Parts: sequence; structure tokens; C-alpha cells
Amino acid sequence: MELMTRQETWNITYNHALGETASWFYAQIRDHSKIYGRRCAATGRVLVPPRSFSDQTLEPTTEWVEVGPGGRIEAFTIVYEEFQNLPPPPYAFGYVLLDGADTALGGYFKGLDLTDPAKAAERLKMGTRVVTKFAEQRTGDVLDFWYEIA
Amino acid sequence: MPYKVQPGVIGCAIRPAIAARDRSLEEIIYDTTQQALADAGLTIDDIDGIIVGSNDQLDGRAISVMMASGAVGGVDRDILSTPSGSEHAFILGALRVATGQFQTQLVVAWSPTEASSIQEVERLGADPYFHRALPLDELSAHALQASVLEQKIPGVRDMADTVLAKNRRHGEIAYPGEHGQPGPARWPLAAGTTTRPVTGCVAMVLATSDFIAKRGLTDVAWVRGMGWATEPSFLGDRDLSAAPALAAAALQAYQEAGITDPMAQLDVVEVTDATPYAELLAYEALGLCARNDWAARVGDGTFAHDGKLPVNLSGGVQTFNPVFCTGLIRFAEIANQVRGRAGAHQHPNTNNGLAQAGSGFAMQYQAAIVLGREKEVRT
Repeated sequence: MELMTRQETWNITYNHALGETASWFYAQIRDHSKIYGRRCAATGRVLVPPRSFSDQTLEPTTEWVEVGPGGRIEAFTIVYEEFQNLPPPPYAFGYVLLDGADTALGGYFKGLDLTDPAKAAERLKMGTRVVTKFAEQRTGDVLDFWYEIA
Repeated sequence: MPYKVQPGVIGCAIRPAIAARDRSLEEIIYDTTQQALADAGLTIDDIDGIIVGSNDQLDGRAISVMMASGAVGGVDRDILSTPSGSEHAFILGALRVATGQFQTQLVVAWSPTEASSIQEVERLGADPYFHRALPLDELSAHALQASVLEQKIPGVRDMADTVLAKNRRHGEIAYPGEHGQPGPARWPLAAGTTTRPVTGCVAMVLATSDFIAKRGLTDVAWVRGMGWATEPSFLGDRDLSAAPALAAAALQAYQEAGITDPMAQLDVVEVTDATPYAELLAYEALGLCARNDWAARVGDGTFAHDGKLPVNLSGGVQTFNPVFCTGLIRFAEIANQVRGRAGAHQHPNTNNGLAQAGSGFAMQYQAAIVLGREKEVRT
């Protein structure tokens, strides 16, 4: 017998409140091209992206600390498939431990030739120094910055 | 014994890959539930409570326990839901039996493939503040973890390839002629290193020792120990080259079960091998093999079906990947091994088995259980 399906498409827009901490973080990126983390008073660790409390100690963070723009690669991957509302593939992304930070910040790697993934991967090895670059037009978003090999 | 009342698994139904479209999701859940009850020799009237593990995004149904209540027999019965992981449904069910307040529990989990894009569904698992603008799905998280391991451990790709081949061979024995479709490439994971998602469903029945004795049930997998732990949600906060939450979970499970030498005391193991790299990390965190010995133990077949400690006789996630319920399937596979009901891939003389479940990005959630044919550990 004929087996049918019912197709549905939902289009719901969420407006997620960033709160004071993430709002200030993105405002600094947008207005000053600077990245900041928050220091946990209990451990001294600088958490990036910033949080108002440490999920390790559950203590409120107490201080803004500028980090980067230099850093080193902690992890990377190269993506070949298309995702909704993201750049056309292929592209590389991963995590960078910015100078002065104790946790790594996710972002895209640009300025690389990805046509030979193995060669690109060699350049993205863990520990490789990178520098954070900022877009000319910034909106206060993760896409305002990316990493390039230093 | 760590529990007031020791729980035992008395029924299982594992459906790791459902390709036919002749049953709706609710009908698949109904079929699987009935199969597990029949395996236990019970009817729904024997069930005191139900725990379901389900994922709203994959299901396309908000609070999906609402639509599933009828299919699992939850109408006018006690029913709870664990969206954090299918394996957590088992843990909650076993803990409820262990309190002595429930004689029986039914545990059911499923994972459909009705969404147009599983990778987009998985992106909803990332926080909306810092990570949604990145292509962060489970495959990306696995790839990031693999890239770290490739940097830290020379030769690990060859070890991963050997693990992958082992599990695919096991899958051919367990489910001859059937296998999942190869997953896409995401550096450093080559195409085919993972398996594309399939629809799956699994159900298990737990009971108290009193209930089991009264019914005269003999094919029982006794719960000897359980452990579970969680890593930070941000990948940038974690050391992706290790699995500390699994180490903590294993410690808890081993202490409860009296396992001091897992290689000597366990007969079979199932792990959530979403990638072969994840399986290697599990060897270490479960105390089966230090990373310095990975190459040797993988090379000499220690974890193959005819090795000292077979791992993933079912073929694991690399054979079938029903995303959300892979964890509970690992638990059910070991329960069936211990009960002597694993079918084509039954391992002889299985007294003690361990199942590990990892879920979330790069295995953020970790759980381990020890099941045994006898109530107490035989050393």
C-alpha cells in the first residue's frame, strides 16, 4: 500500500536575552575590537567566553580581563557540508586559547587554502600561534571576529 | 551490595535500525515496548512505573513523553522522562527499583530520523550566546576531539582505523548483511569513519529481587554498579584528549560492583563508539588499557570477538547509529549478553559485563554500569 508522510516546516524566531555579562562582552567586540574574559575570584582562572559565575566553583566572577588578540590553537576541524545560515563550505573552525585566558574560545579560522585538507591541517596544528582579526563592520556577534595564523 | 534492593534486568528489546516506514514513531515505540514486556514474560499491568528517554528536537514533538505516554502504557500510570540521555532513563529506573518503593520499571528510548537535517537539530544543543553561529553538531565535536588526539598521540589514526574495522566485523556477525550508511567527512574524520543516523528504539524491564524470585525468572542481568558524571558544557573549557567524566563514572560503578581489576573481572564490554577515537578514550577511562598500550592492545586483538575482553560485539554505533538511544542500546546489549540472549553475537560464559554510554557534544555526559549473572561479583 502507499505509505504517506506529513511534511511540516516550522519557522520560530527566538530572542535570547544575553544578560549583562555577554552583552558587555559583545559590546567591547563591536565598539573596540577587544575580547574580554571574566576572572573567577576563587581560582583566578580567566573564563572566555565570559560568564557571570564559574560552573566549577559556583562563585560569581569578579573582574573583566582583556585577553588576546594572540593565542594558540587548541582544537580544529574542517567542515565540508553546508549548515543553515553559516558561510558556504569548506571552512575551518575550532578553539583558541587566547593569551591571558584559561579557557578556549570558539571561532573560525580564515586566510587558509583549504583545497588540500592535509596541508591545511598541518598549518592548524594544536599549539600553532594565531591572531584574532576583526571585521570592519561589527554587529556584536561571534562572526565579528576570526583567527588567522600569526 | 550498594542498593537497598538490588535491581535486575529481566526483559530487553533492541531495534537498532528501523528502515521500514510502515509504522509511525508511536507505533514503533508501542511495538518495542510490547516486545520487551514479552521478553520479560510480563504485561503492562505488572509495571509500576515507566521512564522514557527521548529528545524533543529529533522527535519533532515538544515534551515528547506526552505523545509517547499511550504507546508505552503510561496512561493512568506513573511515567517520567529524561531528555538528558537515554542511558539516564535506565539509571533513574534502576534507582527507583533500588528504593524498594517500586517492584518493576519499564525503560524505553527512541531516536527517529524524521527531521530534514539531523546536524541542524543537533546544533540546537549548543548555547545560543556563543556557539550557535558555529557549525557545532555532534560530528564537529567528535572531529575536534579527534584532532586533539591526533596531535597528542602519534599513530592514533591507525589505531582508530583498526578499532573501526573490528566493530564493522562484529556488526557483520551480529547483524549479517546489514549496516549503516557511511557518515560524511569532517577533518580529521574521513568519510565512513562514522555512521549516518538511523531510526532506532529500545526498551528494558527492571524488577526487584523479590519480584524476580516470586516469578521464578532465571535470565536476569543484575545491576551491580552504576556511575554517571558530566563535563563542562563549553568545549573550550574541556581537555578533549581525555574523558574525566567517564573515569569518575567508572570509579563509582566499579566501587559499587566490587570491580578492582576490570580486565580480569569483566567478560564483555559495550561502549558508545560514535567514533573509534571515542572508543579508545573509553578504554583508558574505564581502566581497560592505558593510552600508551592502545597500539599494542588494539593490534593484538585484545578487544576483538575472540580476544581477552571483547568490546562491542554488537558492532556498536559504527554499525548502527540511532543517535539519541545509542546509550540505552549499549546497556541492553550487555544485559542480553549476561542473560544469554544476545543471539548471533552471544559471547560464551558471560558472567560480568560493562556498558558505557556517552552523549552530548564529545561525550559530555558519561555513564557506566556493571551487570552480572550472579547477584555478587565473582572474582
